[in-house]
Amino acid sequence: MEKKIIYIRDTDSAQKERINDYFTLFSNELRDANLLEQVQLVKVADIGLYEKGVAVKIIPENIVYSGIKTTDVKEIVEETIRGGKIIKDLLCGKKSKQLRAVLKNCGYIDPESLEDYIAAGGYKALVKVLTEMKPEAVVEELKKSGLRGRGGAGYPTWMKWNFARGMNSPEKYVICNGDEGDPGAYMDRSVLEGDPHSVLEGMIIAGYTIGSTKGYFYIRAEYPLAVERVQKAIDQATSAGLLGNNILGSNFNFELEIRLGAGAFVCGEETSLIASIEGKRGTPHPRPPYPSVKGLWGKPTIINNVETLANIPLLIAGGGTKFASVGTEKSKGTKVFALTGKVKNSGLVEVPMGITLREIVYDIGGGIINNRDIKAIQTGGPSGGVIPQEFLDTPVDYENLGKLGSIMGSGGMIAIDDTDCLVDLAKFYLEFCVDESCGKCAPCRLGGYQLLQILKKISGGNGELEDLNRLKKISYAMQKASLCGLGQSASNPVFSTIRYFEEEYKRHIVDKKCPAGKCKALISFKVISEKCKKCGLCMKNCPANAITGSREAGYIVDSQKCIKCGVCFDVCKFKAVMKE
Amino acid sequence: MYKMIEAKINGITVEVKEGTTVMEAAKKVQIKIPTLCKHPDLPPSAACGLCIVKVKGSNKMLRACCTPLEDKMEITTNDPDIVEVRKTVLELIISNHPNDCLKCGRNGNCELQSMAADFGIREDVFGKFLRDIPIDSSTGTVVLEPSKCILCGRCIEVCQNMQDVWALSFLERGLDTRISPAGDIKLSESPCVKCGQCSAHCPTGAIFEKDDTQLVWDALKNQDKYCVIQIAPAVRVAIGEAFGATGKNLTKKLYALFRRMGFKAVFDTNFGADVTIMEEASEFVERFVHKKSELPLITSCCPAWVDFMEKFHSDMINHFSTCKSPHEIVGTLSKTYYAEKAGVDPSKIYMASVMPCTAKKYEITRSDEMFASGYQDIDVAITTRELARMIKQAGIDFMNLPDEEADSLLGDYTGAGVIFGATGGVMEAALRTAYNLVTKKELEDVNFVNTRGLEFIKEAEIDIEGTKVKIAVAHGLSHVEEVLERVRQAKKEGKEVPYHFIEVMACPGGCVGGGGQPYNVTDSLRLKRASAIYQDDKEKTVRCSHNNVYVKKLYKDFLGKPLGEKSHKLCHTEYKARPIYVR
Amino acid sequence: MKKITKEDIEKVDPSKKDLGKNWIKVGMSTCGVAAGADEVYAALIDEAKKRNIEIDIRKCGCQGACSVEPLVEVNVEGLPKVLYGRVTKDVAVTILERHVRNKKLLHDYIFEIN
Repeated sequence: MEKKIIYIRDTDSAQKERINDYFTLFSNELRDANLLEQVQLVKVADIGLYEKGVAVKIIPENIVYSGIKTTDVKEIVEETIRGGKIIKDLLCGKKSKQLRAVLKNCGYIDPESLEDYIAAGGYKALVKVLTEMKPEAVVEELKKSGLRGRGGAGYPTWMKWNFARGMNSPEKYVICNGDEGDPGAYMDRSVLEGDPHSVLEGMIIAGYTIGSTKGYFYIRAEYPLAVERVQKAIDQATSAGLLGNNILGSNFNFELEIRLGAGAFVCGEETSLIASIEGKRGTPHPRPPYPSVKGLWGKPTIINNVETLANIPLLIAGGGTKFASVGTEKSKGTKVFALTGKVKNSGLVEVPMGITLREIVYDIGGGIINNRDIKAIQTGGPSGGVIPQEFLDTPVDYENLGKLGSIMGSGGMIAIDDTDCLVDLAKFYLEFCVDESCGKCAPCRLGGYQLLQILKKISGGNGELEDLNRLKKISYAMQKASLCGLGQSASNPVFSTIRYFEEEYKRHIVDKKCPAGKCKALISFKVISEKCKKCGLCMKNCPANAITGSREAGYIVDSQKCIKCGVCFDVCKFKAVMKE
Repeated sequence: MYKMIEAKINGITVEVKEGTTVMEAAKKVQIKIPTLCKHPDLPPSAACGLCIVKVKGSNKMLRACCTPLEDKMEITTNDPDIVEVRKTVLELIISNHPNDCLKCGRNGNCELQSMAADFGIREDVFGKFLRDIPIDSSTGTVVLEPSKCILCGRCIEVCQNMQDVWALSFLERGLDTRISPAGDIKLSESPCVKCGQCSAHCPTGAIFEKDDTQLVWDALKNQDKYCVIQIAPAVRVAIGEAFGATGKNLTKKLYALFRRMGFKAVFDTNFGADVTIMEEASEFVERFVHKKSELPLITSCCPAWVDFMEKFHSDMINHFSTCKSPHEIVGTLSKTYYAEKAGVDPSKIYMASVMPCTAKKYEITRSDEMFASGYQDIDVAITTRELARMIKQAGIDFMNLPDEEADSLLGDYTGAGVIFGATGGVMEAALRTAYNLVTKKELEDVNFVNTRGLEFIKEAEIDIEGTKVKIAVAHGLSHVEEVLERVRQAKKEGKEVPYHFIEVMACPGGCVGGGGQPYNVTDSLRLKRASAIYQDDKEKTVRCSHNNVYVKKLYKDFLGKPLGEKSHKLCHTEYKARPIYVR
Repeated sequence: MKKITKEDIEKVDPSKKDLGKNWIKVGMSTCGVAAGADEVYAALIDEAKKRNIEIDIRKCGCQGACSVEPLVEVNVEGLPKVLYGRVTKDVAVTILERHVRNKKLLHDYIFEIN
């Protein structure tokens, strides 16, 4: 018999000891079956799926069983290991819900090696474009593909390119927007760091299509590694003749330069980004004129997000029709998300459009930490909104998320459980937006500030019901009267949390309670005397000397002195400290 | 040929040129869209967010100030929803603005205040969030009070693009955004040329002229002082705006006013302008005919322009007319010539001037030559706006005053003197006299219409007895560079210079559009003010400076001849390169 | 670097891309580097040399599982491809000794197996 390996894993992280029971069970069964010599048994941290319960993977057949019970162990050993038969009932039929297209090279090739990129099929799309496609044909292919901007707004990429292509101007520019700034989002960083040449290739194709000979990479300075790798890629491409004059023997010339963002979130907004490259104050300008008509230095310019550009080589190489075969009716292809928050496996995921939020959170993310209940999903970062758990089965695409009051955004996705307070969440995003408002236009600059003040008031226990109306009123005015996307969407987190969780706001305002226990002013700690074993640990650890008492009399928390740090709650071994 | 587009605004069909903004188009059909940042002089900055309108088919609201109307668009500029949003935005702006109206320089003519009145703001709906930013009055001309700023961006657009001075910019971001010279220095250490256009465009009390009216009242109260006053050409055609009269020349009422206020003698800057022309035209002839020094000659009667030149174009110092401004000439003559003739102790004379200009406050102490009489030639310079306030304080029914005349010695002026107030006027006045100096003949037609109007750079060729005089007139400091560059280029290449005579006025429209003039200036208002000036010129029997009887008398009795020793001492000045940034 | 021609690119068949039989890849994007991938990479290079272990050690981008960085992927002939998570300098040495040299897997750090 061929030597086999059984990988065994308990996907339920709450069950720390159970895995050992199964390990012993399997060992015993294997010994009994006299198979110990032929089979290696391995405990692993993960085997790429996140079903509840214990799972095993049998190599080399690559059979995966999940949700197995102790009573199944004997059968697995007998039937599958010895008999080579598959037990259909235990089979985990699901394969990974991820579809790595944009990320196919990330983690696969050496990002600092042009040879690696080419060996993986890189620059084939460029060759195709330069040898057999007219600019119109590239636009046509883009149109067929249905690719929409991955920066957030979802504007059809072909239209942007076609506008710029149609402009009669000797100078045009291509800009790659790498000023990724949403808190918790790092899709673009990973692409730039993991597969910089794919973005380069996309930009060169863009240059060829619109008739531009100069492109800029606008990358935030906080991404030094991305900058380093992109610069290396530019240098390699230049010396290999993939940038510069007569690229690959065609008559097409194109060069690329990096410009660093100086830390302003608003510079991810295209008109601000242009101002920033021009050396001006990074504030938005009214559109129209759109950059594709009048952009950098007043010339037609296309600005595409990193992920959009990284999609271009794939789309051209495989053809627009193939690209469009993935996704929903109006949203095609895949989308990369930075999945974070209370999810078990946080990280970067790439999924086909149309996958449901539940699949992303549970099948890919492995569910919520400690198997708590999911309360909502936040998408779109500070410009997005929350989607409550009842909509988890919504297929993810631009339209659906918009309908739910959130946005696709650049790809931040945060799982929220019942220990997260939505007033606190709205406050967090507002703080970010107030900090990052460029200050140019009144609704955003002042509206954001006033919203934040009201949220602080509510989470501080001083809210009034009228504040809800004030929040709605300001949010609406900001949406309607702000100049740029940042301001128009800055109130989204407030709007959508009120829309779905008005009750939670009211609990803060009327009952002066924070159900999630997050808002410090609204929580208090109390020693439950029945449970207290009078060990004194809480008093010893209290940094504010707010706990008094003795081994004899027990302990009490002085709410006046208490700074709500929660140390007593955490150190109590008997769950005798109550937070409410 | 422009493409025309047709659209509907509030159901009214409007046909406009392609590229016309919704706001402009709406104005054509008598629809007013509120704004606090858009100024007719300036491109939209899209800062305030009040001008939002709805367009059919979109659930967004668009900003009327910067959205071009498109063919077949259906715009709604007003409904309860829009009003609600506007009101909220206004309340937000007010939450960031002190309720200081009673003590504010803009009380009664503040755009924010009247907007608040229009929208019926009765309470502070949102928590007050005020900024504590120090007031900058370092220049002694315009005062910056950033805590009242609503960040409309007009002053910055004016300073950077209209005037090319770049003294003001936005500092910091978000809530901390404020107007300030770059590097957070004082205005007096910045490139500021004191033109005051920022203050004339500010919608609130964030930038205003330094108020010197109390100095004037104090002097008038002081028994020891012999108070005299002069008014600049542009003041007389704009002061009426503070009393509901636009484009009216109120010279004679002003004369009457000043006597009632207690001034012992009333002079006219226009007389000084005639003297300036005598000197400047002579300078021109020296250069043009006698080739005593380089061409072109460049006018120097605008103090903001002088400051700009000394900071940014000091290589042009040799081209500058050394003749003082009319304002300074009247000042120095009042404490010498007039004192002598009237038998007044010059140390007792208190010379006040009313100017359309904030930079004149700077000019009165600009250099040692401004003390040529042995005293500070001008004791105080106030702007048209300050005068309007003084009239109201004095309780005088200004518009119904009887007409009076000025004190002739320094008060009688010609048509050439008054047109100094409009762009091209100095050039025209100088040419009238230069023609006479060269040919010894009088012009049949004194109107040089090529120098008039609001085109930013005007060029003309004047024939003086077969010799072509090439002139250029520029106004608005951003248009100077182009003219000077042509001169520099020609000099560098050893070619003949493109111009023989250049007039520059810092403010668009010249002094009629000065930084100290009444608010809400637009090109149409500038033209109205200018046309009142040209009307005055037209109605004058004497229209050339050299024919001014009192000018002749001045030279005969006192100064001697133009460019002579005495006029050199009293009526000329010097220039020096000044650092753009003072450390 | 020599100029690349159209033919150079056209002749590539990505499906035949062969990384060789024995290799280690270290995820070296910011997520990895922040978790200490630099150190791990250096340790692998140094220790492999010191211990005379012949294996191709390469850098790669983010593999997605950022919560368990640094990630090290190991492919050794005769064993499945294994992705190790939360690898430290010491674990890196163990990978070389146990996985690469002795062809045994390290139980506690396996994140994914293919």
